[in-house]
Amino acid sequence: MNRLPAPFGSRIDRSRPVRFSFEGKSFEGYAGDSIASALAASGQWVLSRSFKYHRPRGILSMTGADANALVQLPSEPNAAADRTPISEGLQVSAQNVNGSLDRDRDAIMDRFGRFLPVGFYYRTFMGPRRDSWLKFWEPIIRRKAGLGVVDTKAPHRHFDKTHLHCDVLVVGAGPAGLSAAIAAAEAGADVVLCDDSPEIGGSLTYGRHDPAALSGLSSRIKAMPNLRVLTGTVCNGWYEDNWLPLIEGHRLHRTRAREVILATGAIEQPAVFRNNDLPGIMLGGAVQRLIRHYGVRPGQSAVVLAANDDGYRTALDLLDAGVSVVELVDPRPAGEAGPLEAELRGRGIAVRKDATIEAAEGTAGNRHLARVRTGGSWIACDLLTVSIGQAPAWQLPCQAGGKVGYDAGAETMTITLPKGPVHLAGGVAGADDLQDAISSGKRAAVAALSGLGHAVAEEPSTASQKGARPRYVQPIVADPKGRDFVDFDEDLQVKDLQNATKEGYREIELVKRFTTVGMGPSQGRHSALATARIVAEATGRTVGEIGITTARPPVGPETLGVLAGHHEVLERRTALHARHLALNAAMKPVGAWWRPYHYGAASGAEEAVREEILAVREGVGLLDVSTLGKLEIRGPDAGEFLDRLYTMAHANQPVGRVRYCLMLNEMGSVIDDGVAYRMAEDRFYVTATTGAVARVYADMLFWNAEWRLKVDVLNLTGAFCGLNVTGPKARLVLEALDSDIDFSREAFPYLSGREGTVAGVPVRVMRIGFTGELSYELHCPSSLAPSLWDTVTAAGRPHGLRPYGLEASRILRLEKGHILIGQDTDAITTPDELGFGWAVSKKKPFFVGKRSIEMRARLGQTRKLVGLQFPDGARNIPGESCLVLRGGAPVGQITSVGYSPSLRRHIALAYVHVDDQAEGSHVTVKCRNGELVEVPVVAHAFFDPTNARQEM
Amino acid sequence: MKLLTCPMNGPRNIDEFQSFGPVRARPDPNATADMEWSRHLFRAENRRGVVVEWWRHVPSNYFFLAERDLVSNEIIRTFDASENRGRA
Amino acid sequence: MPLRLLKYGLSRDYPISGDIPATPELKPAYDVVIIGGGGHGLSCAHHLAKYHGINSVAVLEKGYLAGGNTARNTTTIRSNYITPEGITFYKEGVELFERLSQELDFNVMFSQRGQLTLAHTEATMRSFHMRAEMGKHMGTRTEVVDQKGVEELCPLINMDYGGPLEILGGLWHADGGTARHDAVAWGYAAQASRHGVEIHQRTEVQGFEVVGDRVLAVRTNRGRVACGQVLIATGGMNYDVALMAGVELPIRCYPLQAMVTQPLKPWLNTLVSSVSLHTYLVQSSRGEVVIGGGSDPYQLYSTRSTLDMKEHLAEGAVHLFPFLQGVRLLRQWAGITDMTPDYSPIMGASPLANLWLDCGWGTWGFKATPVAGKRMAQTIADGRVPDILKPFALERFETFRLLNEMGATAASH
Repeated sequence: MNRLPAPFGSRIDRSRPVRFSFEGKSFEGYAGDSIASALAASGQWVLSRSFKYHRPRGILSMTGADANALVQLPSEPNAAADRTPISEGLQVSAQNVNGSLDRDRDAIMDRFGRFLPVGFYYRTFMGPRRDSWLKFWEPIIRRKAGLGVVDTKAPHRHFDKTHLHCDVLVVGAGPAGLSAAIAAAEAGADVVLCDDSPEIGGSLTYGRHDPAALSGLSSRIKAMPNLRVLTGTVCNGWYEDNWLPLIEGHRLHRTRAREVILATGAIEQPAVFRNNDLPGIMLGGAVQRLIRHYGVRPGQSAVVLAANDDGYRTALDLLDAGVSVVELVDPRPAGEAGPLEAELRGRGIAVRKDATIEAAEGTAGNRHLARVRTGGSWIACDLLTVSIGQAPAWQLPCQAGGKVGYDAGAETMTITLPKGPVHLAGGVAGADDLQDAISSGKRAAVAALSGLGHAVAEEPSTASQKGARPRYVQPIVADPKGRDFVDFDEDLQVKDLQNATKEGYREIELVKRFTTVGMGPSQGRHSALATARIVAEATGRTVGEIGITTARPPVGPETLGVLAGHHEVLERRTALHARHLALNAAMKPVGAWWRPYHYGAASGAEEAVREEILAVREGVGLLDVSTLGKLEIRGPDAGEFLDRLYTMAHANQPVGRVRYCLMLNEMGSVIDDGVAYRMAEDRFYVTATTGAVARVYADMLFWNAEWRLKVDVLNLTGAFCGLNVTGPKARLVLEALDSDIDFSREAFPYLSGREGTVAGVPVRVMRIGFTGELSYELHCPSSLAPSLWDTVTAAGRPHGLRPYGLEASRILRLEKGHILIGQDTDAITTPDELGFGWAVSKKKPFFVGKRSIEMRARLGQTRKLVGLQFPDGARNIPGESCLVLRGGAPVGQITSVGYSPSLRRHIALAYVHVDDQAEGSHVTVKCRNGELVEVPVVAHAFFDPTNARQEM
Repeated sequence: MKLLTCPMNGPRNIDEFQSFGPVRARPDPNATADMEWSRHLFRAENRRGVVVEWWRHVPSNYFFLAERDLVSNEIIRTFDASENRGRA
Repeated sequence: MPLRLLKYGLSRDYPISGDIPATPELKPAYDVVIIGGGGHGLSCAHHLAKYHGINSVAVLEKGYLAGGNTARNTTTIRSNYITPEGITFYKEGVELFERLSQELDFNVMFSQRGQLTLAHTEATMRSFHMRAEMGKHMGTRTEVVDQKGVEELCPLINMDYGGPLEILGGLWHADGGTARHDAVAWGYAAQASRHGVEIHQRTEVQGFEVVGDRVLAVRTNRGRVACGQVLIATGGMNYDVALMAGVELPIRCYPLQAMVTQPLKPWLNTLVSSVSLHTYLVQSSRGEVVIGGGSDPYQLYSTRSTLDMKEHLAEGAVHLFPFLQGVRLLRQWAGITDMTPDYSPIMGASPLANLWLDCGWGTWGFKATPVAGKRMAQTIADGRVPDILKPFALERFETFRLLNEMGATAASH
């Protein structure tokens, strides 16, 4: 219907028609069409309804920068119709309509506008009751607010990320960017050039230019291997040290450039007058894009508002496209006619000077432009093109440290970048015309090359030869009837901004926050400059003093999917993972590690755990402790090093002995525990908890960076595995193995360690007491662990050896009253609170935390970790974290609780008030259901208090 | 991604590093009164200016010092800790 | 049609309420000088004037009104903390928010739709039980829910992940909600002004005149101001300002970043937070989804944003709600948080007799805007710290009486 013949339509392929639907109606376009251009070609100009007043909206910029053109796609709300290509079968619908796009019942809001002034929602919706906002008003507002609908059943899409490195990144492949990229690449730099359009050339592809200008530049691009061109790629932000995200469809290129040239152009600005939002009122560039990129005739009968040469060129383009141009209105005072004006007049077009568009009117329901008023008279037209000025694309430059200023003499926004590895070129740097743009691109390349250390000849500026050209500024006066929009996204009129300043919101940031100007999808592109002018005028300051609000990334919308990329979850498995699976272990994650909780079916979990506990207490059990932290400390100062880091004495620890080690932070709070096995005078093998080892390792390295002791710390956590063989029959099992280690009680007493081999596997073995039974912990290199496991399992078979998991292990240690770091300790637990005085050396002159625990002891304790024992058959057992109360106030809580099969009752560890710590005291615990129970305090070591069983 | 130049490994992305905070004076704990000690523990070096701080390059476990402006985030220089020793 | 709006429709000229008077001339002296024109400072000024009859009050704001952390936070309001002292304090805060629109005659849009924090590990579930038990005991609506409970509260959360990120349950805090941060500040500013408080924007304190243990005056870019009492409530600048007065605060500043999507029709009805993913989300009444997480990993006084944090937050959001892949991000920003060693604020007296502190608000300040203002006003008016604030004294660090709230902050905002 509105198609133009070739050569118009550089992006469309007329041999490939594409059918899609919009609002349930079938439409046809061509491959390469955007949704907006295809609809326009078929005469569908209304694309959306505005946010607040639900006024019909259509194409404004064709750059994907305005909310007017946002449509709903399946699985994608807020898609830019002017940038999204059509595809076969694509179903497009309008957003934010009540009913249909054509008959939006909420259009009635346009009539009630005067009852909904700026910030109206702060004045009301508070009553009549306190919860009226939550229960009544907010649900209504929420349904009316928002644009697109999120598809909660959207299918998963694939995204990925890459890293790009280059010497020079040029953002924007218009004439300035092309020139800059070519100059830099020809000088030998490694250059990446990106542009968000499907083709390079920028304004050269849609503006009225000699085609040789584009072909001249693009031909030089093709030949160079050191110039990578990424089209359809958006540069959406600048981050510290020239780190920029380049988004190419589903792929995020994280880019590091040594030098960056921003050639992002300038943003055409709309004109402000009554009904300036009607479909059919478009920026000059939009019209040119429709004609040249998509071969779409933008209207039948046009009025052109032009305050610059580009506007005049647009008028000529319209004529070439068969559009009747009724009149060109130029707000500038009458002056000498330039060649463009002469050409227009020569083609019979009336040019009216010193006049502007005062208002527009639409067809029924404001669905399309019907006429405009200029010089007091109405002109019928279905297209108004607007070319009244531009603002440099300040977003990326400002993120890169650029400052926005206002040149009052030339009436333009200026951007100044500090000296550094970011440069501006072209329209964003204020270049006025094509020659200026090309030369500014070359100058930017010179600056970038100089930053890289290349010696380059200076490029002369062409701009200075012409002098600054006076620009026209359209005065902004509120129309008494309103609907003179400053911000299309937010439906804000001139008077809204003026009224905000009257309310006292006079700073630009406050105006923005109070009115929401610039907070919609276009983020101020089309409103910031006009807003600054209005606020300046309303508050008696200059535009320069007012400024624009902070530019924040992203520059343009980007999907969460491309930012999130490909989802990866870190998992860690011990070398024995396959063994556990083969034994039908119930594996559960503990942090990033997979660990067996028990062996056997989930349905029999309780029974399995009980059996495993029994096996350990009466026979022998096997536990994979491979996730445990393992650190080797080597060097002449190893003992001294451990002395300073842990609370016990390790420097004088005899070789072959194993000692409990407790680590505090500088505040004296417990952060980890484990055992230290002295393998040699200058070598210790130290364990840490699974959860804390990374922190312990880092802290060790940090302390030694200060202390500079002669010591080396090795983190063997992943390199080594650990098998714990425990139970009264443990010795029998190990003595049956082919080993050079003597496992007898005499040769291998409790709390000692031995090195050797077991069935050919080099091991270091420690006798420790976590479960309360005779226990040998064998550590070996991970690659050999499965073989060791098999060997031990085979040797254990005649003795009924049973693998056991974390659940059983927790109960076994609880029966002995052993603490678990992070469960029975918190951020302020001291050794005193745990009753660990025995673990704190009185003789060492220094260890981390020593000074603090001494001081804290003087200040006095408030709580103590004690054992609690519940009576046989007790009915109400509190859960973990249940509160311990004293006088009704919380003084502590249950940290560990469970049923002990060995004692046949429930036991717990808990923090109680320090005055209640004595055995036999009773404390009050509040159960999960609120019931209070009285529980007696007992000694920690519930089971085998003399430790006879673990020391045999 | 900010760049941090490790004295040993050269410029690396900052996510390869772990911050250990400003260099702190270490008073002799055995020669410090109680309140002075706790005040020292919780003292924060947080002036809006240049701070000397510890960094760890995690993959190589190398610890070093950096002078950084806490307002502009400019890293003025990075250097091996041996330079600071002897001026504890 | 809400009746109030009739006056706008039926008058020819826009009827001005006059929320924020223009900055007046600076007087040579005030009974109370409040340094910091954010939510806390304005709230304190309002309470001083309305409830204590003290209106010789000047609020001095270095930039534009409430342009600091008040403008940048992610608006979470809750009281599901760990310590009894913290819960008591924040609970009063929630109660004040419940009445705030009426108090200020300004719709702050307090939306009490509840907060759901997700647990992916047993350790987290254990800490949730702790917070639930404490919360219930202290009279707040806080409870642990299991997987089924999570699904009922927020059916759209992706429960399909197994492994280390499997959702085991959650902490459901029905008292939790959000409010419009700017509206809170403007409402307090408007009310305080009506009661005679002076708000001075673009007025920077550059020094203190201290004699003995008293502040005699502050020096500003607009002149010297003698002060009866002084309050420091400057958010990310607290360390700096206090230092000018010779007071060292145990505070370190870290950026806290957040971001927001384009507006969408309503789909998320509660605050959702994940400890393991360090991400939380809430949908505002405008329809935008606010996404936040943990602080930056090194000290910095800057509100710059990073791509790394944005990617990290997007990962967390998409993990919880995979269908968000197609949703577009609009903007990212940051605030400067003044972090304390125990993640609890510092309120009350300073070493100087007439200098009061409302500092160390880290990532937990917005929710306390009404209660901190109320209680600091009480403190200043009475000249002594009320019981509810005593645990938050600056001296607590000296005697190791920390109020450890680390497990209840960071990503569980």
